[in-house]
Amino acid sequence: MPNIAVFIEQRDGKFKKVAWQMLSEAKRITAASGGEVWAVCLGADPAAEAAKYGADKVFTATGDSFGIYNSELWGAALAQFCTAQKPDLLLIGSTAMGKDLGPKVAAKLDCACISDAVGLTYEGGWTVRRPIYAGKCYIDVEPVTDLAVVGIRPNAFVLEEAAGAGAVEAFTPDLSAIEPKAVVQSIEAGEGGRVELTEAEIVVSGGRGIKGPENYALIEKLADALGAAAGASRAVVDAGWVDYSHQVGQTGKTVGPNLYIACGISGAIQHLAGMSSSKCIVAINKDANAPIFKAADYGVVADLFDVVPALTEEVIKLKG
Amino acid sequence: MKIAVCVKQVPDSETRIKLDAPSTELDQSSFTRVLNPYDAYAVEEAIKIKEAGSDVEVVAITIGPETVTETIKKDCLAVGCDKAILINDPALADADESALATVLTAVLQKDSYDLILFGIKAIDDDSGQIGIMVAEKMGLPHVATITQLDLGDGTLTAHREIEGGKEVVTAPLPAVLTCQKGLNEPRLPSLPNIMKAGMKPIDKLTCADLGLETPAAKAKIKMYYPPAARGECKLVEAEDPADAARELARLLNEEAKVI
Ligand SMILES: Cc1cc2nc3c(=O)[nH]c(=O)nc-3n(C[C@H](O)[C@H](O)[C@H](O)COP(=O)(O)OP(=O)(O)OC[C@H]3O[C@@H](n4cnc5c(N)ncnc54)[C@H](O)[C@@H]3O)c2cc1C
Repeated sequence: MPNIAVFIEQRDGKFKKVAWQMLSEAKRITAASGGEVWAVCLGADPAAEAAKYGADKVFTATGDSFGIYNSELWGAALAQFCTAQKPDLLLIGSTAMGKDLGPKVAAKLDCACISDAVGLTYEGGWTVRRPIYAGKCYIDVEPVTDLAVVGIRPNAFVLEEAAGAGAVEAFTPDLSAIEPKAVVQSIEAGEGGRVELTEAEIVVSGGRGIKGPENYALIEKLADALGAAAGASRAVVDAGWVDYSHQVGQTGKTVGPNLYIACGISGAIQHLAGMSSSKCIVAINKDANAPIFKAADYGVVADLFDVVPALTEEVIKLKG
Repeated sequence: MKIAVCVKQVPDSETRIKLDAPSTELDQSSFTRVLNPYDAYAVEEAIKIKEAGSDVEVVAITIGPETVTETIKKDCLAVGCDKAILINDPALADADESALATVLTAVLQKDSYDLILFGIKAIDDDSGQIGIMVAEKMGLPHVATITQLDLGDGTLTAHREIEGGKEVVTAPLPAVLTCQKGLNEPRLPSLPNIMKAGMKPIDKLTCADLGLETPAAKAKIKMYYPPAARGECKLVEAEDPADAARELARLLNEEAKVI
């Protein structure tokens, strides 16, 4: 019976939603297969929420080592956890921290490491589904080691409450031998305020059709009305209208929100690669032949300068 | 100072995947292959350090078949790398990230590098693991996803992209870095330099040359799938943009239930 460990990421005591999504999926799997779901957290106590999403046990390590993220200390702590508790899978969200930590832990334990998964099945052994070529193709991967570290893409799994025992277990990694070499000196906040792209449930993106940097505010206003993140095509980023951190696509962020609204984006293959796994795609473009309409569920063939502000009004009305 | 840049040849981002039904194999024969776009940032950063310093040697290292040499010549040697090492071993055809990291570690340990640069990920497998694994296997610090790099005397300061901001990270050399867009603007090779690149050495090695048994893959690809097909696009038709917006909002709310 498989025991699934889920890394509960926190920064400043704030937990990442992908952690609860992973717990939900782990619970769905163990409900059928037996086994337990273990929440593992460094630097904060997630017990109350972890139990709500199905954690049978909650392992929490606290102390000075788990203030600001450090890959060497946190990696060693998670590796020690796996060595001691022997989970069958260690799930880590595919966030900036998770992408840093997963390969580190896997290399320490010399076990399989699978990035950015969107599906997990257990039938005596594990099958992990993940996109390659930025979503132009999917693969099923089977780990051959007893433990596999699997990165999970935010929003791949549905959040679902399912009570778990949430039994708190002591976990005291021994990090005395580690003198970290790479050290985070400070964290500088970016533009802030807005929802982060890869975690967002709704993304509104602007392309070259917005015509200039001053008009990106139209995209941001719609995003704000929806509680969404604001994205962009590479054309907009390369023109210097918005920062690269907004770029969606094969050489930008890969997103898979419930709703993706592409405004003035033609739908180049590299852009589609980064957003085609979105559950619902809306295209607003004045060219009826733009390839984006082939990828979209809903389309409006019109000038975005008319439709986007009107849609923003409608959303505000709907939410009001 | 000696810098290693670990690079990969990948299918062009324009590549269309021909796959109509699940298959145990993927036909890659028609792919046009180029340098992984993220690796270009690593190459550029190494060359910038070389140009700014004295006595800096830049070595491009890659694993792949003989056909990668054209990419290595054009996009690494012709833009300023001094030499290249190609590990060409058919036994690595099914290698996973862990196996490739083991091979690269063996290559890197044959010499002594102050900086080891990677792209954040390759745009074919999209794994983003190997640089971090190599750092761990070599016992070196790493900073992943960097958008700025400043070298000091035996130390470095890098900006690392995180959600909603960046971390400012310091580390001693030697260190491993993975390079993100924003770090620099990769240059293009000039025609004369492409011609001259042919003169620069490319060492060719196998696992046996490195004293390695072919490392076993820890994860195996079982099946390839095309992405789920989408239905027809429903066009919202209206004379007036305000009506179109109202109808779209209604559909998203009532039909798709996403807002
Ligand atoms: C190696 C490589 C990697 C790449 N990676 C990425 C990536 O990660 N992400 C990415 O996005 N691209 C990427 N690209 C670039 C990609 O090929 C396209 O060039 C880019 O996506 C185009 O951006 P766009 O759709 O905004 O611009 P365009 O293709 O110029 O499209 C603009 C669209 O806006 C519409 N429009 C104009 N005015 C209006 C209006 N008033 N109202 C409504 N619609 C209007 C037009 O009809 C058109 O369809 C990459 C390219 C390469 C070679």
